[in-house]
Amino acid sequence: MAAWVKGGATDAGTAIGAAVSLLAKARAPVIAGLSADVAAIRAAYDLAGRIGASIDTAGAVGTYAELGALSRVGAITSTPAEAVGRADAVLVIGAAPWRTPLLQRLSETKPTRGRTSGSDRALLALGAGADSSKATFSHPAEDGLAEAVADLRAYGKGHLAGDTPQAKLVAHLTAAQYGVLLYDPAELGELGVEMLQGFAMELNETTRCFTLAMSGADQDRAVVPVAAWLTGQAPRSGFGRRVPEHDPWRFDVARQVAAGEVDAVIWLAALPVDRPDWLAAVPSVALVAEAKASLADVVIAVGRPGRDLGGVLWNEQRAALTYWPASAPTDLPSAASVLGSLRDRLAEGRAASRSEPAC
Amino acid sequence: MLSVIRGGRVVDPTASRDAVGDVWIEDGRIVDPVGQEPDRVIDASGCVVMAGGVEVHSHIAGGNVITSRLLLPDLYVSEASPEGHPFAHAGGAAGWIGSTYARMGYTTAVEPAMPPTHALATQLELADIPLLDRGALTVMGNDDQLLQLLRERQGGNAVRDLVALSVATSRGLGVKCINAGGASAFKDGALRLSLDDEIPVYGLSTRQIMGSLLDAVEEIGVPHPLHVHCNNLGLPGADDSFVETLEAAEGRRIHFAHAQFYAYGVTEGGGFRSAAERIARAIADNPNATLDIGQVVFGQTVTVSLDILRQFAGRKGANPKKWVLNAGDAEGGGVVPFLYRPRGPTSSLQWAIGLEIMLLSTDPERTILTTDHPNGGPFTQYPRIIHLLMDKSERDREIATLPGVVGERSGLPGLEREYTLSEIAQLTRSGPAKLLGLADRGHLRPGACADVAVYRDTPDRTAMFTAAKLVLKDGVPIVEDGEVVEWRAGRTLSLSVESDPAMAKRADTYLTDRFGAGLDSFAVPDAAFDADADTFEVVPCRV
Repeated sequence: MAAWVKGGATDAGTAIGAAVSLLAKARAPVIAGLSADVAAIRAAYDLAGRIGASIDTAGAVGTYAELGALSRVGAITSTPAEAVGRADAVLVIGAAPWRTPLLQRLSETKPTRGRTSGSDRALLALGAGADSSKATFSHPAEDGLAEAVADLRAYGKGHLAGDTPQAKLVAHLTAAQYGVLLYDPAELGELGVEMLQGFAMELNETTRCFTLAMSGADQDRAVVPVAAWLTGQAPRSGFGRRVPEHDPWRFDVARQVAAGEVDAVIWLAALPVDRPDWLAAVPSVALVAEAKASLADVVIAVGRPGRDLGGVLWNEQRAALTYWPASAPTDLPSAASVLGSLRDRLAEGRAASRSEPAC
Repeated sequence: MLSVIRGGRVVDPTASRDAVGDVWIEDGRIVDPVGQEPDRVIDASGCVVMAGGVEVHSHIAGGNVITSRLLLPDLYVSEASPEGHPFAHAGGAAGWIGSTYARMGYTTAVEPAMPPTHALATQLELADIPLLDRGALTVMGNDDQLLQLLRERQGGNAVRDLVALSVATSRGLGVKCINAGGASAFKDGALRLSLDDEIPVYGLSTRQIMGSLLDAVEEIGVPHPLHVHCNNLGLPGADDSFVETLEAAEGRRIHFAHAQFYAYGVTEGGGFRSAAERIARAIADNPNATLDIGQVVFGQTVTVSLDILRQFAGRKGANPKKWVLNAGDAEGGGVVPFLYRPRGPTSSLQWAIGLEIMLLSTDPERTILTTDHPNGGPFTQYPRIIHLLMDKSERDREIATLPGVVGERSGLPGLEREYTLSEIAQLTRSGPAKLLGLADRGHLRPGACADVAVYRDTPDRTAMFTAAKLVLKDGVPIVEDGEVVEWRAGRTLSLSVESDPAMAKRADTYLTDRFGAGLDSFAVPDAAFDADADTFEVVPCRV
């Protein structure tokens, strides 16, 4: 097992011992990133619950654009396979969705299921960055994406009217039999997502139209359901008071670090995501697949799920959690097993300290 | 280890047993008295001893349940965690579900709606419910692959093979259909569907789809009959849908989910009145049929269902005003918050109808207590419902607080019946265990799992059934004096079913074309679960 303490290579036992020492002293630890398989996410929550840590994720910007809107107004959604199989009109919002494999597939195929089967599919664009070779109609959204969606909603409701590009887009979606509104929540933002859901809900008074969000490179789409079933709450929650407390502002780890509220971090990235700048500012343990000595105070290399070892990951194409066997097995430990070791060692330490006589 | 639960009132209707006596346990099983000194004596004097409760229809896992937690994060109250489990008191979470059921004396619970497209996530979530044995029903009836087979008249064998493959791949315990064809019809513009309405594009009807699934379940030998969520849930006149569906079963075994929501006869003004008598009589006359209740209880809840036609219609009544509808792969689903207004006329009548069906039942073993958690209300209300069934004066006190519509449009106030403990055991133990085909549960005869609940015998049945004095799971005490004392993991019950390699190959081709990923990506492999836990237990098919 590759491991480093303060930049120096060491063995597994020493690295885990150093991580335990670092965490045992912490009064406000955070487990962050959670770019990992379901077993590791579960283990991270179990550890957080037992040591009173809080949790934040690598993709929280997009995740919170979704969850904030969801808890206020709800959502009306479809899936990638349904979009490919049924959509006769797809409104692509912003630039990010144009770069996805789904967009490529949508552009190369026609609907094959349901009442739209065999009909043509229109790819419509809202906002800059559209692929002009694929889009059949574009509107640039110069005042911002969320505002542009609000405009469409106003046209849909009849609050705005006229021979405008927005009116044409709305007319296209109203005439479609299975419309899909494709977006990246991190790009569209929370208010934009809320506006988009309202727009889609209103279109369904007369036809079928559904939203479809693209996810990032992180595993937030796996974290959210696991968090919900384990704790009843979405991530960005804390367990310091032995009750799951969900607070997107308070448990934003970047804010916590900037405010000096954190005294230890476990950075969990068994699948690669960008290393956050704030990691250098706190005592840290990194459990990472692509390990480098300088990444944290204690670095332990773990297996990458789907490559070094098997694991359950978010499958964007299927919009589901699926199992990925190891494609090139190695003997690197799983992140879940390292987190389990940390939990056991910390529990032993706490039991020992409780058994000491009080003075 | 040999144990004896001594001196309790042992209630086991499957053995016509309701008398003070002993229950002997060895190595996790109920045994005959062996004539030797036990290693452990459990004093149950003054207590009632029953088999562990068995739940057949409670939404405890899956995509809709996840969404409901995100949509309504404040629905349940969380309390400080107990020793041994960091999230057991986190309201609505898996640990809370397991510990709350266990404290009530339940030891097995089934999630009734597992879409094959999301089987792995549902099974992972179920596996995190501690203390209980769990299972899930595989949902079919809206998927394009099945509907294509039927449209092309490929025959019963093809349907049977696809059903068997779906159950085997998802590791289900049975098969359910939910408004068969309804989700497909919704995506193609329909807003209502009855038994013989044509489903757009496919030229099929609910009757045809359900009939094919009824046959497939029998041919495969699935112990649990097809679990049917009919058309037109919650609408005045839904009693017609219920009875027509029962007739469409043509004598084949069939289970009706949450029957209360169909016991709505239409009134002249377009409103509804109780059709409990009609439903109860239909079940009495058809021994091939069973139902669970879907009892309504007052207060805030959230409705979760794969019946997207129903949930789309129900969105206008969302309270608070927010909802989620997912027109997903095959089934989709909808999550709509709902308030059963305390003392409101509609909710009061719904409340009365559920109780009426149970009190009119001629066979409590075919009348299973559920709230369709959380759709009619939370499962935590079972003790209160049991109290109302067992105590006419308690019912009268509650009815006195409710609007007159309860007496005008239901027969509840005139029903004198009080359930006995044996009948409660049929409603919550032997009935659901038989229904699921779990021969070693729901009773206390030799050979049964030593899943046992011991309750203090008090007139306050709500208190009695809320916090058991003692609960044994496989002979091990997991609850004492209403608190969890041992955080052990249960097992997930899944059916042992052979799948046809030719159908697996066909399905793989179909799925790859549709999803860009083949049958492997729908699998629920052991490797996805804790290596040191024995997660799954096989339940055999009928021979």
